[in-house]
Amino acid sequence: MSTTSTSLQGDREQRTLVAATAQRARERSLATRDLVLSISTPILLLVLWELSARYQIIDPRFFPPPSQIVTAGYEMILDGELWMHTAPTLMRLFVGGGLGAISGIVVGLLMGSSRALNAALGPLFSALYPLPKIAIFPILLMIFGPTETPKIIAVFITTFFIMQINTVSGVWAIDRKLLEAGAAYGAKGFDRFRFVVLPGAMPFVFSGLKTATGTAVVVVTAVEFTGATTTGLGYLIWNSWQLFIPEKLYVGLVVIGVIGAIVTTLLSRSEKLLLPWRRER
Amino acid sequence: MNARKSSSAVVAEDVSKVFFSGQDPVWALEDFSLTLEPGSFTCIVGPSGCGKSTFLRILGGLEERTVGTVTMPDDGQQIPAAFVFQEHGVFPWMTVLDNIGFGLRMSGLKKAERTEIARDWLSRVRLDDFADAYPHQLSGGMRQRVAIARAFATGSPLLLMDEPLGALDAQTRMLMQEELIALWEQERKTVLMVTHDIDEAIILSDRVIVMSGRPGTLREDITVPFERPRTFDIERTPEFSELRSRIWNLLREDALTAEENA
Repeated sequence: MSTTSTSLQGDREQRTLVAATAQRARERSLATRDLVLSISTPILLLVLWELSARYQIIDPRFFPPPSQIVTAGYEMILDGELWMHTAPTLMRLFVGGGLGAISGIVVGLLMGSSRALNAALGPLFSALYPLPKIAIFPILLMIFGPTETPKIIAVFITTFFIMQINTVSGVWAIDRKLLEAGAAYGAKGFDRFRFVVLPGAMPFVFSGLKTATGTAVVVVTAVEFTGATTTGLGYLIWNSWQLFIPEKLYVGLVVIGVIGAIVTTLLSRSEKLLLPWRRER
Repeated sequence: MNARKSSSAVVAEDVSKVFFSGQDPVWALEDFSLTLEPGSFTCIVGPSGCGKSTFLRILGGLEERTVGTVTMPDDGQQIPAAFVFQEHGVFPWMTVLDNIGFGLRMSGLKKAERTEIARDWLSRVRLDDFADAYPHQLSGGMRQRVAIARAFATGSPLLLMDEPLGALDAQTRMLMQEELIALWEQERKTVLMVTHDIDEAIILSDRVIVMSGRPGTLREDITVPFERPRTFDIERTPEFSELRSRIWNLLREDALTAEENA
């Protein structure tokens, strides 16, 4: 009798396992479907664009078919025109954005940690922040002339303000309990800064970096629109419009989009790497 | 036993804390005096808002007293006391081992030494397998074990615990009480703990301080008679029930007032 009951039990266990396997398989097939959908939707839209442009459903003068854009882009790579415009944009973005981010983070951390400094600079920065940075570009041009400096400064200012504000918020968002725990265990001065304030503010710093990337790309493009330069992807787009070469205009657009996407992805990756304690959230 | 008793006691005399809520002064604590004998475990119970946490925080240097004197054991420690917070007191950006060794690191101990002590405490709270885990990967009970280990690891003769088990579910809480008794009975540090839980206060402590509602004053100082080492079996004794109802009767009225004024 005991053998029958064991075999019955084993039987039931077997059936439960089979059911669980089926459940897992269903969940996996759904995950595969999601992946397929996320990749196929943009491809489908591109195909739709290509067909509607070729059959004149949409005006190909404004929306040249993707195949023509790719061809134009390929030719621009071969004759060096694309790099001629991409390199200056990258330089402005990385020099201006890099310096802006570093100084914004440093100033934000100092303001977040020093009550006096925050009292002195907080209201001033809050008043300056909403000023459209692009509106002061003419002033910069006046001071520095049509050189690289005003363009880099425009990107710098944009990034600086976003990073400063985000970093201050990051410091203030640190759980009071953690600051107290730091104090209770004797973290003072630079130790407090290094072990409590800095890591505590990092999540906000990273979300600031992602926001700043997007805004810096907009500003660098806008600055290059102004005619203060004859290089850069913004210039390429603007000039292609004036000469009415829509393919090149789209190539410029795509490259700028790709630059933004790559930087944002790199930031997300490094966030995962540098803040392992935020994983699985 | 590696108990290191510190000779001097913690003495607080006529400590008051007044803060302003708008125009009105609020007396959080009024002429509160308490002496903690070295190596004793004392619990403070009292209605919400009676200033028991405030007193603890004053001892721990996290808040300033308005008037009164506090004498701490002077034995060359960097920090006045090792603090255990109710929740969220461990650093989410540090691994379990780094959290436990944090106090030692702040007092300037070399890496090898502090790792050795932290590893020892890691295994004493049974978290050997979680040395490199981050707090978010742990359960609430495990996180509090980290917080308690961090406090003991400092070697500070005085431990201040602000409802360390308050956020845990009932069963985890009982398990943690057992662990806390065991750890303390090996170490015999001076412990002052704030709790809401009368049973917890009786099971853990040598002495229960009952406070009155705001402004917080000392209402009664009760010695807990049970022998050590203790187990939960004392809960079944008539003395336990008697003590519990005595404390509850002291608290009941103030708790009611606190609840209605909340």
